[in-house]
Amino acid sequence: MAMTQQELVDMLSSLTLFADLTRPQLEQVAHKMTEESFPVGQRILRQGFTGTGFYVILDGEVAVRIDGRDVARLAKGDFFGEMSILLGEPPVADIVTTRQLNVLHLGGPELEGFLRDHPTVMFRMLKALAMRLRNASR
Amino acid sequence: MALTTQDKAAALAGVPLFAGISAESMERLAAVAGEQEFAPGQFIVRQGQVGTGLYVILSGSVKVLRGSDVVARLSKGEFFGELSVIDQQPRNASVEAAESATVLALASWDLLALLESDPKLSLNMIKGLVMRVRQAGEKLGH
Repeated sequence: MAMTQQELVDMLSSLTLFADLTRPQLEQVAHKMTEESFPVGQRILRQGFTGTGFYVILDGEVAVRIDGRDVARLAKGDFFGEMSILLGEPPVADIVTTRQLNVLHLGGPELEGFLRDHPTVMFRMLKALAMRLRNASR
Repeated sequence: MALTTQDKAAALAGVPLFAGISAESMERLAAVAGEQEFAPGQFIVRQGQVGTGLYVILSGSVKVLRGSDVVARLSKGEFFGELSVIDQQPRNASVEAAESATVLALASWDLLALLESDPKLSLNMIKGLVMRVRQAGEKLGH
């Protein structure tokens, strides 16, 4: 699926992570991040190995798998890869596609700068992490 | 012990959460943060209550309790209470002073204003949360 820039920006505006961005800012994000697709059954991040980037799901679904056990599913609007980038440690989970997946990808070294440039995205990420932490400690 | 704004700034400078934030943010932080002391066994926050602030431990240590289970111990330089500030939901744990503890309390509105104005602080906070999510996940995984 190759979206036009216009379609991509429309889609981004519907994702919680980018909900506070203006149209020009969304266009910057669309320009900065690369659209990628993965077939079912593909391992995008590997537990214990070096992480390769930050991913935001546009469409499809992945399983978060720790030691072979599925601990969560992520779908449209969810993101992954940020933990190992920000901590500078290998991923603690495999991320495996369970449905054909379209994502936006940002290279690991670019994430901090990207978040600093977009404080509202950072705050949305903070909220999402707070929710994840609440769920994890329930 | 009554801390001056300068004392508070010096204490906050050693806290990883505030590492690398702007001098202006640090000054605001020290000006608005209030020092509180707790005796052993005294509750600082209670599970189920809506939180109004973040706490940074300046001395002593605290126990994090979920129900009656101790799920973590925190000491000098560590912080707690951030979840309620970020998502405005009730506290998911209680925190009790394990020994005499001095904390700096930062009100939600002051913290949110600082997070908005200083991306470095937000980034530090994200890293702190990511680390906790990871630790929680490790506990779940084993």
